[in-house]
Amino acid sequence: MIAPDGVVALREERGLRLLVLWLPPLLTLLFLAIFGGGEPRRLPVGVVDLDHGAEARALVRHLAASPGLDPGHAYSSPGAAKAALQRGDILAMVVIPEAFGADLRAGLSPKVAAFHNSQFLLSGKFLSSSLTAAGQDFAVRAGVALRLGRGQPAPQVAATALPVRPHIKALYNPDMSYARFLVTAIAPAMWQILIVVATVLLLVWRLRRAPLPTAFGERCRTLWSLLWPVTALLWLQGLLMLVMFQGGLDWRPAGNVLWLVLGLGLMLLAVQAMALMILALSAEPLRALSLCAAYLAPAFAFMGVTFPRGDMVTLARVWGDLMPSTHYLQLQVAVADHGAPWSVLWPPLLILLLFLLPLPLSARALPERLEVSS
Amino acid sequence: MNRPVWWRAWLREWRLVYGDTSVLLVIAGGVLFYALLYPLPYHRNVPGEQAVAVIDQDRSALSRQLIRMADATPQVRIVARPWSDEQARMLLARGEAHGLLVIPEHFQRDLYLGRPTSLSYAGDASYFLIYGNVVQGLLTAGTTLGVEAQAMRALMQGESPMAIPGEVMPMRLVTKAVFNDDSGYIGYIVPAVFVLILHQTLLITAGCVTVRDRLRGGLGLTAPGLALPLRLSVFVLIYLLLAALYFGFFFHFYEVPRLAGKGALLLVTTLLFVTTGLCALFMGQLLQRPEWPTVVVLVSSLPIVFTAGFVWPEADMPGWVRGLSWLAPAKPGIMALLKLNQMGAGLDAIRPELTGLVVQALGYGGAVVLMARRQAARA
Repeated sequence: MIAPDGVVALREERGLRLLVLWLPPLLTLLFLAIFGGGEPRRLPVGVVDLDHGAEARALVRHLAASPGLDPGHAYSSPGAAKAALQRGDILAMVVIPEAFGADLRAGLSPKVAAFHNSQFLLSGKFLSSSLTAAGQDFAVRAGVALRLGRGQPAPQVAATALPVRPHIKALYNPDMSYARFLVTAIAPAMWQILIVVATVLLLVWRLRRAPLPTAFGERCRTLWSLLWPVTALLWLQGLLMLVMFQGGLDWRPAGNVLWLVLGLGLMLLAVQAMALMILALSAEPLRALSLCAAYLAPAFAFMGVTFPRGDMVTLARVWGDLMPSTHYLQLQVAVADHGAPWSVLWPPLLILLLFLLPLPLSARALPERLEVSS
Repeated sequence: MNRPVWWRAWLREWRLVYGDTSVLLVIAGGVLFYALLYPLPYHRNVPGEQAVAVIDQDRSALSRQLIRMADATPQVRIVARPWSDEQARMLLARGEAHGLLVIPEHFQRDLYLGRPTSLSYAGDASYFLIYGNVVQGLLTAGTTLGVEAQAMRALMQGESPMAIPGEVMPMRLVTKAVFNDDSGYIGYIVPAVFVLILHQTLLITAGCVTVRDRLRGGLGLTAPGLALPLRLSVFVLIYLLLAALYFGFFFHFYEVPRLAGKGALLLVTTLLFVTTGLCALFMGQLLQRPEWPTVVVLVSSLPIVFTAGFVWPEADMPGWVRGLSWLAPAKPGIMALLKLNQMGAGLDAIRPELTGLVVQALGYGGAVVLMARRQAARA
């Protein structure tokens, strides 16, 4: 029995083995490790205490009780804290004004200013909400103390401390884990890049070995024997990625995971169809890879997981629509998070199928051999 | 005419660049294309109003006022009034709403009587930015309403108006964003990713030129001790021009802050390009085919973005990830330039990054020299 071309390529090309066998799980592991903490912990916060009273110290202790904040960085002046903020030694600074304690006791509603570094937007937003929440909590407690001190009866004080209690619920990601939010989107984007690179290199390997047959039927058979082993392996890598989500992120799809098994397969074929088209158009490996880079390297940004697609300009939405990853991710969110009905699931699956339309044309247009580059 | 050897060798290096269409495509087309493409999703800068559904079980004047206040915030748009929890769940599942506000029965009565009541806010945390907007908008509306009602009640009970601010809001903690002060995505992504684009395209182009030249045996024509430094100088010059375009024109175009002094900026970018250029020459000596530098760049881009430290705090990454991230010039380059140009720090504040770049330059440079020597010995 003769081994299919794809198997021979994997045996001969070390780089291809790396891309198809080792890098997919290793890179998913890397992203799991980066965001392993789930949410930022103990971010360094500078404190400028101009009051030096018991109330100011109580406020700092209150900030320290928040798991996201580490207010153990004291500075003597706002200027010194600002310099530390610019160096990146601290990510936020809190300035407790003079007479903070006295104003608090007198009911004058003193103002504490907090500055967070939003150049690092994600940690900046996290710091802003952690500081606000800790500040509000401290204010409620201070308000209770103030009213009790004024001789209001305890039951009345307890009732009016927080007249409207907010119940906030994070749907689909109850722990607000950044790991779960980001890794489940970055890993498919990475997988897509590995697919497009592996497919182009596989075709290049074949074209360098011998010219492709010109008859369409025979050419298709050649491509099939070349592509199927690698496609099967990459699809398994996609499934392994989902298993790693489950193990590493406690990811439990709300809907039927078989839709994602199908979706991964269609996305894989769609990306391969695009790889074939790109090589057919460019007919030269380096130009083909440059086009792949231009096309799919920024895919993560266009998926809409971080910056919402609904807030993108039309051109950005259209460009995002041209990438298989955008549609797969819509499917993944609908199936895994929303547990959405079939009416939401079929459109992305259908669009992924549409990517396969140019496949016969691309197969026909592939060059017989590679242009010998200068 | 007898031009000196180094001059002819230098001209040859320039020819290697402009004679190679695929390299030229990356330098001229790629760098311009990426400068327009990468910021494209973020043109609106901050996410706008998100669709929210309301279940109003109170149907009072106050609950209607709360709904109007929520709708008036820049973060929230009320799109639906489902009757049941089940109907609301379907709206969220279909993605027609990303948030839900539940106003309980007797909300108005309890609030006016000074009995504790509650409001439920739910947001779609599959999308953190959408979630953040939903919760911020609803909380703003709810808190404002609560404070107003509390102040009103205190006045009606005959408390002194002077005492009310302290009781209703005993202390205010006001947060303010600095550096990227509108907390926009353009100011967050563009200054970091543009450094990465220059880094990655330099690795591709200089790496590819070196592989091709080596495969042709080009290093035999000129002594590698001459060719490689000249090649480095050619690419550093080209990239300094591109950096002027990126950090000058495009930062101005995207309204990204430019706080660095020209001298400091020139020093750091030159060091970054020398180090990245040496890394590219190293890849060029190591890799067997001209397309492989591009493969390395494509595969390494997402890992570099997420380990560089501007997305996720470096201190929260495991040690081995931090160690790996210091292998590419991109990480110290991005952090040094962000601190210098966007955060307004001085050169003394970026000493760790500069040291990292110098150590990398020595490492990659040393490896290139060793490999070129071994090659020359074989030839």
